[in-house]
Amino acid sequence: MLSLFRFIAKHTAYLYFLLYCGISIMLIQLQKKETLDAIRQRGLAVNASVAERISGFTGILTLRQENEHLLLQNARLFSQVVHQQQELRDAKAVQSASTDAPAWARQLKIARIVDRRFSATDNMLIIDAGASQGISRDMTILTPDGLVGRVTDVSQNYARILPVINKDFMVSVVSDSTRTLGILSWQNGDESIAHMEHVPVSSSLKVGEQVTTSDYSTFAIRGIPVGKVVRISKDKLFCNIDIRLAVDFSSLSYVLISPAKPSKEKVGLMGTETGRKGP
Amino acid sequence: MLLLVLVQHFFVSRLVILHASPDILAIFIAFVSMSIGQRTGTTYGFAAGLISGVLTGTVGMSALIGTVEGFAAGFFHLPEESHATWIKKRRMFYIAATVALASGNFLTALLNNPLSLPLYVRLPELVILGTIMSMILGTLTFHYVLRKLLRD
Repeated sequence: MLSLFRFIAKHTAYLYFLLYCGISIMLIQLQKKETLDAIRQRGLAVNASVAERISGFTGILTLRQENEHLLLQNARLFSQVVHQQQELRDAKAVQSASTDAPAWARQLKIARIVDRRFSATDNMLIIDAGASQGISRDMTILTPDGLVGRVTDVSQNYARILPVINKDFMVSVVSDSTRTLGILSWQNGDESIAHMEHVPVSSSLKVGEQVTTSDYSTFAIRGIPVGKVVRISKDKLFCNIDIRLAVDFSSLSYVLISPAKPSKEKVGLMGTETGRKGP
Repeated sequence: MLLLVLVQHFFVSRLVILHASPDILAIFIAFVSMSIGQRTGTTYGFAAGLISGVLTGTVGMSALIGTVEGFAAGFFHLPEESHATWIKKRRMFYIAATVALASGNFLTALLNNPLSLPLYVRLPELVILGTIMSMILGTLTFHYVLRKLLRD
């Protein structure tokens, strides 16, 4: 008996260990009993409550970082919205350019203006369509409102446009009511006003008449609107006529390219006769 | 001890890397076992596990793990009359803490696997990574707090 007590006294740690292990295992087994379950639930409630407070406190500490993150996300979303709005506007512009075009313009190609240089003396446009898209030199560029210009240079994917508002540009035009013929050109100055030349003082042209391209043009088919007569003043032999251009060059973003051209035979004959490139 | 349980549960256990987190409670149990004795260490481990279990909802399992940790660390107990040098005490503390942590984490990996990870993933994660993380914390705790207690 004494030796048993000695053994127990010597190995109390083992006994404690066994006792605690036994209690623990019993607790594991009884975990689903009602009393223990209630304690467990109460403990979890306390745990959740304290954790919530702590996370609230740490939330305040990380508020600045979170704000910066949100600002960054906001900026990213804003840029996406701006980009999508731009896409939408572009799509609408393309649709409008296609649907508003007159009947003769059904087979037109659409291109976007990707670069422009507007100055008092030298204006030009670059479009994102070139030889790959079937664009060639001297094609007519227009919008549903009217004539924009002509193609002067073509690369693989781009083309340079000589617009109406360039001092080197000329086109043969005719008025719609009195059928008065003349040459439209543009001098430095107001980008919405061009001039109609070679109209004799005897002409019956009136203010308000529409002016379109004529059969005599070397690059444009007839009937493309160009503008409207806004002022007529008579000189010695010819009239000084101001034409308000139909196209608003300040807000031009999409253009149509007309594949139709005047007869090559006719242009060839005119070129042989005059020896220079005609309007 | 209650404060330590709360600190472990609400702060230290949130430092999780690959499902393992440091265990400051095991460090404390190992220290008690090593400096006071195996019986006291086992009792402390059981009590700490019990309190911790109430918060986590695993009363029995936490108590068992605490008991094993205290008991395992108790094998490295240095009696007061041993007149061990401070360096030996420090070495024994590190060994006791490592053994307690490894045994506790081993048992945790076996008994508690909420994500149903395979044992060959869960065991190394807890036993190796968990022990290393806890030992880093243990080294800091020893250097700044426990060292002074051992010298006294």
